[in-house]
Amino acid sequence: MLPAVARGAAKRLLGIRALLRPSPPIAAASASRSFSTALNYHIDSPDNNPDVPWEFSEANKEKVKEILSHYPSNYKQSAVIPLLDLAQQQHGGWLPVAAMNAVAKVIEVAPIRVYEVATFYTMFNRTKVGKYHLLVCGTTPCMIRGSREIEEALLKHLGVKRNEVTKDGLFSVGEMECMGCCVNAPMITVADYSKGSEGYTYNYYEDVTPKRVVEIVEMLRRGETPPVGTQNPDRIRSGPAGGNTTLLREPKPPPCRDLDAC
Amino acid sequence: MGFVLRALRRSKPFLQSQLSRRSPNPTPLRWISSTSALSKPESSAAAEPEPVPAPERPRTPVGGARLHFASPAEAIEVFVDGYPVKIPKGMTVLQACEAAGVDIPRFCYHSRLSIAGNCRMCLVEVEKSPKPVASCAMPALPGMKIKTDTPVAKKAREGVMEFLLMNHPLDCPICDQGGECDLQDQSMAFGADRGRFTETKRSVVDKNLGPLVKTVMTRCIQCTRCVRFATEIAGVQDLGMLGRGSGEEIGTYVEKLMTSELSGNVIDICPVGALTSKPFAFKARNWELKGTESIDITDAVGSNIRIDSRGPEVMRILPRLNEDINEEWISDKTRFCYDGLKRQRLNDPMIRGPDGRFKAVTWRDALAVVAEVAHQVKPEEIVGIAGQLSDAESMIALKDFLNKMGSNNVLCEGNGPSLLADLRPNYLLNSNIAGLEKADVFLLIGTQPRVEAPMVNARIRKTVRATQAKVAYIGPTTDFNYNYDHLGSGPHTLLEIAEGRHPFCSTLLSAKHPAIIVGAGLFQRQDFLALFSAIEAIAKFGKVIKPDWNGLNLLLLNAAQSAALDLGLVSNHNESIPSAKFLYLMGADDINLEKLPDDAFVVYQGHHGDKGVYRANVILPSAAFSEKEGTYENTEGCSQWTVPAVPTVGDARDDWKIVRALSEVAGVCLPYDNIGAVRARIRMVAPNLLSVDERESSTVSVEMKPPFAEKLSLAPFRKAVDNFYMTDSITRASKIMAQCSATLSKK
Amino acid sequence: MASVVRGVFKAMREKGLGNFIKEIRDEGYLKCLSDGNLLQTKIHNIGATLVGVDKFGNKYYEKLQDTQYGRHRWVEYAEKGRYNASQVPPEWHGWLHHITDHTGDELLMLKPKRYGAEHRENLSGEGEQYIYHSKGHALNPGRRDWTRYQPWQSKDN
Repeated sequence: MLPAVARGAAKRLLGIRALLRPSPPIAAASASRSFSTALNYHIDSPDNNPDVPWEFSEANKEKVKEILSHYPSNYKQSAVIPLLDLAQQQHGGWLPVAAMNAVAKVIEVAPIRVYEVATFYTMFNRTKVGKYHLLVCGTTPCMIRGSREIEEALLKHLGVKRNEVTKDGLFSVGEMECMGCCVNAPMITVADYSKGSEGYTYNYYEDVTPKRVVEIVEMLRRGETPPVGTQNPDRIRSGPAGGNTTLLREPKPPPCRDLDAC
Repeated sequence: MGFVLRALRRSKPFLQSQLSRRSPNPTPLRWISSTSALSKPESSAAAEPEPVPAPERPRTPVGGARLHFASPAEAIEVFVDGYPVKIPKGMTVLQACEAAGVDIPRFCYHSRLSIAGNCRMCLVEVEKSPKPVASCAMPALPGMKIKTDTPVAKKAREGVMEFLLMNHPLDCPICDQGGECDLQDQSMAFGADRGRFTETKRSVVDKNLGPLVKTVMTRCIQCTRCVRFATEIAGVQDLGMLGRGSGEEIGTYVEKLMTSELSGNVIDICPVGALTSKPFAFKARNWELKGTESIDITDAVGSNIRIDSRGPEVMRILPRLNEDINEEWISDKTRFCYDGLKRQRLNDPMIRGPDGRFKAVTWRDALAVVAEVAHQVKPEEIVGIAGQLSDAESMIALKDFLNKMGSNNVLCEGNGPSLLADLRPNYLLNSNIAGLEKADVFLLIGTQPRVEAPMVNARIRKTVRATQAKVAYIGPTTDFNYNYDHLGSGPHTLLEIAEGRHPFCSTLLSAKHPAIIVGAGLFQRQDFLALFSAIEAIAKFGKVIKPDWNGLNLLLLNAAQSAALDLGLVSNHNESIPSAKFLYLMGADDINLEKLPDDAFVVYQGHHGDKGVYRANVILPSAAFSEKEGTYENTEGCSQWTVPAVPTVGDARDDWKIVRALSEVAGVCLPYDNIGAVRARIRMVAPNLLSVDERESSTVSVEMKPPFAEKLSLAPFRKAVDNFYMTDSITRASKIMAQCSATLSKK
Repeated sequence: MASVVRGVFKAMREKGLGNFIKEIRDEGYLKCLSDGNLLQTKIHNIGATLVGVDKFGNKYYEKLQDTQYGRHRWVEYAEKGRYNASQVPPEWHGWLHHITDHTGDELLMLKPKRYGAEHRENLSGEGEQYIYHSKGHALNPGRRDWTRYQPWQSKDN
């Protein structure tokens, strides 16, 4: 009796400790949050700590100069978002704390001002993502048209949890809010970091089905680029399936008011 | 019973007439009458009160706010709840309401910080505005009709309050802010007794900001006052607002302690219990505390503080508003040194026996021994040293006593071997702390104001932020929290400037109000007089002293220093200590006693068992600054009083009383028996010490100096304060300060 | 009265004189001479029903006839010398004060034994150890130290 109780208590304790342990907090937190990276504080890890050297590449240094030239010299901090974006593209889709420090140095502000911006915008990923970051739209129209099933299919196919990177480092699945394709719901976005900041693409795949997303994933895995836009062969862009049902002929011009009558 | 009542009521008219006849001036007697009596038409008509005019709104500005009009044309008129009020142009609606005497609820707005406008608690209704207006961020326009007590404003605030309380935990009973919490107070006015929010509340991970500030971030309402304070006043850009939406939180993102000497002030400005004092956590409730308005003596600034005590214990120290000295901030040393007052205290007179051990004795015995020894030595071998925490009363008593014994060797620690004590402008911060805001160029010579006088540093930082004033610094490498030019590290640079060879000279010459601040750490140098004349040459060259501006400042280190110089406690310790046979240390711990002869008899009078007692032969316990009434003069020459907040410990006595008693035992009785008489004696020596809270203007510097013989040595300046958190016997005894210096001070 | 005397003689006969005197002493009849209250209780007991005896030996009587209503339940304390009301345990208190008609024995059966503390008589004023001393009093064994500071101790001591 007593040993059984003790064993049960010990198991429980271990479970609590596993929950409290700082190493997988991302996974623990992401269960309740739908942000791409939910934690608002930084935890040092071997590939993400302030001591990792990080610098813009030579090509990107030119781009930094170009971006800074858009702003008055005494308002350099305005360039924080484009620079963070550039840094994220360069670093394979996510921002280590060292990259944020580097941006802060470029725009001459305290690092915390950059952290504030990076934590505010959900498109800045502060933890590692896959080379292909698949973002499923989770807003109402897409949700009604089955975005949950799509996410489920993706996660099942890839064998990961949300915001988790597959073993080969190719894919990660996240959620994004409305990307303005409600007419072609449901949709996913693929942020492609496999070709660095030069070949960086950010493609929409609309009218997807659980079957189609798996096909898209497999095509990406093979290195192909699936055709972007609607995946419904019956539709042309946002047009209705099977051709127009309205506006079948040239619309009548509006009746002109007889100006002489008045 | 009912019968008696009925009889009384029946006889009411009669009794009333009887009573009113008896007293010529009848006081209105109140009768308990039943409702039936009131409902009678004639009686109710008589009882109806006169139509009272609407109660006159308090027209005095909130918190004694003062309005400064640059010119009459700058004034605009707005209407607050129908009352016209004239305010300067550029004020916000909230300030206009304050000027009209209407207190607007607010969380994020703080008069000394930039405007954020993110709590929305200060919503008011403005006529012709479609929506309620956030008054803290809205500039007042001429003719604006502001309404603060309308249903619209009330409903808006109630809505805001409901949102704020949505995610605020209901832990007031275990919250240290309870009783002095803005959210608690304002929810009494605008909060609902139940919420409509049925989801789970947000919770936020607590942050570690160091040994002083405790964080319970779940309580945070995101007012960002602490972020703005850290960025603008303290100058440490560590805190920020992370995340968005309901996941928003205050934090440092990377693990970081708040290494500012002003970090304790975020405890005061936090409107909720998110940032509270770590040493004070769960120690007391604020309504149990007795506040005593006193001043701080851990540095020479004399910050105004309130000592909160419970019974015989100092529980915490809070700042008090004084626009001329500390505004409403205090340094961490001031705020958290209080636990030093409870540790290492001397509570009994003690005599070191022949075996080298201390034994507690009675005052009578201790004083008898001291007096006997004092008479055995030659008068010129008697030396008295006042410590850095001594008040003016005790210093004049010590000086009078030793003078009566025939010695003139009375000095105060911190004041160096050669000093210009004849003229007050030569050792004071002449442009005053508040006056530093006018300066446009600062030249800091051998001083690190951030550790020597954080409040002066905050003032300089404020000036630099507001007017982009330039700061130049000569001294060892150190860190400032504002931009500065490091010109050099020693007298060499000083000479260059004095001779006009340095590029800084043009900056100095072009300045309208240049301010030179000389650190008191230089007093310890043998060549101080030569140094000072070089500095004076710079002042003359840069036209630092003008009829309306005296920019030549000395920044003192200790609370006792300027009063000691006023009272003439000046003698050279390099000469007096090696020849001393009888040394009277009045709280002096930082004096170098290596050269003291071995057979010298040392009396230590003080409140803490610190460095000084280990050489002492007799210990006389005295009261600390929180336990006595004393006059202290700060570095700008403004004298202030401490007030006893708690009883003193054990058998300790006030410093001047001990000296007075000793003088009687020694047969040279001092002619004062109470503090008034001591102050009368001070009036004869230095009358300015008695004009409390006044600064005697000192623009005129008479150039009558004795010629000096020392040559300027080119040794670089050294730091005057090594460890900001431990500078005197109180802070050295404090555990909190020890923790701070272990974790916060830079290695 | 006559019945009382008769009862006494009967008891003497049954128990023998020695036993009778011992019982008289134990039952406190001798105390009755100096203690009027006890005497009155003893007189009351005649003809009353013994409802129960608690674990301390206090006897609870009830007499429904020939008594004023409200004075029909009473207790004879086991302690004959220094008796007081706090010697009644809580289970009997309700019955004795007409709060309930359940006797203490019934209540003990009805109620689960939830609270562990044994009933203790209130001993205030019964001796030095039971006098309340304030927290700082020298006679309080758990005397609080009100010294709020830590005095300096020289290192060589």
